[in-house]
Amino acid sequence: MSATPSSARPLLAIPRRIGLVVIALADQLGGAGMLLGQVLVRLRPRRIDRYELFRNLHRMGVRSLPIIAATAAFTGGIMVIQAAPFVEKYNAKNFVGWAATFTTFRELGPLLIALIFNGRVGANNTAELGTMKVTDQVDALRALAIDPVGYLVVPRVIAMVVMMVALCVIGDAVALGGAVLTADLLLDVDPRIFLSSALERLDTWDFLVGLIKSLLFGLMIALMSCYYGLATRGGAPGVGRAVNASVVASAAGVFVADYLSTFVLE
Amino acid sequence: MRSGLTRSIAALFEDAHQLGSLFGRTLYYLLHGKREKGSVARMMFEVGNKSLLFMCVTMGFIGAIIAFQTGLQAKKLVPDFSMIGATYLKLLVRDLAASLGALPLATRVGAGIAAELGSMVVTEQVDALRMCAADPVDYLVVPRFVASVVMGTVVLIIGGFVAYLAGMAVAQMVFDVNPHTFTNLSMVTTGDLTLGLFKCITYGGAIAIVSSQRGLATFGGSEGVGHATTEAVVGSCFAIIVLNLIISTLGYFFVPAL
Amino acid sequence: MIRLEDIHKRYRSPVLRGIDLHVPAGCIYALIGPGASGKSVLLKVVAGLVRPERGKVYVDGEELGELDDLGLASVRRKIGMLFQNYALFDMTVFENIAFPLRRLYDLPDTEVRERVAERLARVALPGTEDRDPSRMSGGQKKRIGVARATVARPPIVLYDEPTAGLDPVTSQKIYDLIRDEQRAQGTTVMVISSDVSGVLSIADRVGMLHEGELVFDGTAEEARDSTIPAVRQFVHGLVEGPL
Repeated sequence: MSATPSSARPLLAIPRRIGLVVIALADQLGGAGMLLGQVLVRLRPRRIDRYELFRNLHRMGVRSLPIIAATAAFTGGIMVIQAAPFVEKYNAKNFVGWAATFTTFRELGPLLIALIFNGRVGANNTAELGTMKVTDQVDALRALAIDPVGYLVVPRVIAMVVMMVALCVIGDAVALGGAVLTADLLLDVDPRIFLSSALERLDTWDFLVGLIKSLLFGLMIALMSCYYGLATRGGAPGVGRAVNASVVASAAGVFVADYLSTFVLE
Repeated sequence: MRSGLTRSIAALFEDAHQLGSLFGRTLYYLLHGKREKGSVARMMFEVGNKSLLFMCVTMGFIGAIIAFQTGLQAKKLVPDFSMIGATYLKLLVRDLAASLGALPLATRVGAGIAAELGSMVVTEQVDALRMCAADPVDYLVVPRFVASVVMGTVVLIIGGFVAYLAGMAVAQMVFDVNPHTFTNLSMVTTGDLTLGLFKCITYGGAIAIVSSQRGLATFGGSEGVGHATTEAVVGSCFAIIVLNLIISTLGYFFVPAL
Repeated sequence: MIRLEDIHKRYRSPVLRGIDLHVPAGCIYALIGPGASGKSVLLKVVAGLVRPERGKVYVDGEELGELDDLGLASVRRKIGMLFQNYALFDMTVFENIAFPLRRLYDLPDTEVRERVAERLARVALPGTEDRDPSRMSGGQKKRIGVARATVARPPIVLYDEPTAGLDPVTSQKIYDLIRDEQRAQGTTVMVISSDVSGVLSIADRVGMLHEGELVFDGTAEEARDSTIPAVRQFVHGLVEGPL
């Protein structure tokens, strides 16, 4: 530590640290942005490796289904419980369906699903690409004249975006089920009243906002996890560091995307 | 599909059993263990230092989003926004500050704990501790548990405060509610505070227990450590959501909201 | 001192398949065998770190399978262990070596310092107390591991690959250290090694594991003269043979 200039001039230590963080952030954002460009350029249906695509769709989507469904069911239930006191006070039983589903569909469903998806699929993806990188498999692909971005990244990005949206649709349905069940058991709200209240007051747009958000979240997680995976350095411990950095960066990215899209998609 | 479902249910019960057993042993050593000087303080610094900035950033965004959604919903029900601050603060204190903040906390702290313990397992350091009469639960899990409960609560409260400021800013800019009207604590009861605090403490403990269990169960080299880290994040998030449903249901019956 | 009866252990596939073994007190017992033959697992069974599915482990007269966590801890007091990857903690050299002393006994600080200094002198690393082990060489880390394993003067010491990855001169120094320690303290020692000729130079008895079974158990001379094909091939490093 004593060798670094920062401790030699304590006054400069804090601005120096902030500067380093900003530079690192710009580097990573730029890297992820470049990767997005590279992916978009290669988006031609015929050039996508079908086998890789289907393998990833299965691995990322189907195997995340149980935990995502459970998360969604609980979320639906929680939203009903949060709405419950207001429902009781104003005796607004025909509002509870709408109150619970509005926030779940628009906001919490996509957000929670994205966070779980990030921890499970994003982290795995970084670990897998990172391991390939540090064991020189990525260079081996290049040596075989196979483009790593086209072969490795494009199918993963497509699979993550598609699956994130699909999981969101399923999650919405399951969350609705969880909410109906909780309302019936806890508040004695008839499922038919609950559903009609939800359907009457919800616009298609509320549902679509959630889907657009999950599309953005999926893209964010896909880009971040692929970028950190391919930028892995420093052997096996480097893979661990990359996974950690990727999970945190993706989560932050999801929150930022959520914030921006919430205001744009009013 | 059917066998897959039964298998995942069986795995869920197995996990619950493992977690319960680890929790029991942690409580036992918390009372009877050999205190290691300074280890709790060091872990507290680690937990707080690692998560504070991340927490402030995410809770800032979450606070803004939730305030916006609450406003949208309020607009459809009642024409005026005078109660938006009161409602928002009640929701924040009673649930959202703890339950939404716990997810980024789990991502950061849980991953850290699992990666650290996992790499100690694969480098045989945990076995070496056992040989030195230092039970891993006593020596490793207890300080992390205490640190995560205490600092997790502190960080969640700070995060909640940031979310309140962000919500206030959104209310001012989007719905034209001035900060004075927004800062309305009339709907926040002692029960809400107790419930929110209880949630913070529970989530902090759950993150430490789930992540430690995953970390100590690591096998198979550095790849195993990566796997354990992933499972710790997902497991902690899931535990938080499940606990939230349980505590909120109990709160509905025993801590009336209005 | 150490007796194993019909030990079975499996992870995904069987690792140990019916091991019977006896290590008399005050003896250096070398455990040899090709990679992944179950040597490390066997050593951890002796230390009570791995519980076998079947069979009995007696250490100093106590059967490990019958003990609870507290009982196991009291048996482990009698055992020092050097791990394959050093397993040094993220602390200074001094704290690493003092760790077992502090956890096991309530000694005054001055005595802890003395005992650590004595150990470091013994492993030829005097005055390195404040260094960070992660910045030291592999041979130095092994020697710190030896110091930590022996500082509490346990009657039994287990060494898992004490010389793996070291050059021949350093290896021989570590073997001499193990031998001299054992002679001075009269301890019972088990050593795992892939470096057959080095370990045979100090061992009183030798056991060879192959595919989870003990295919040989005898003195070092008997091992050198063995006519069992696998043992002959392994001890003499031949290319031709069943391995």
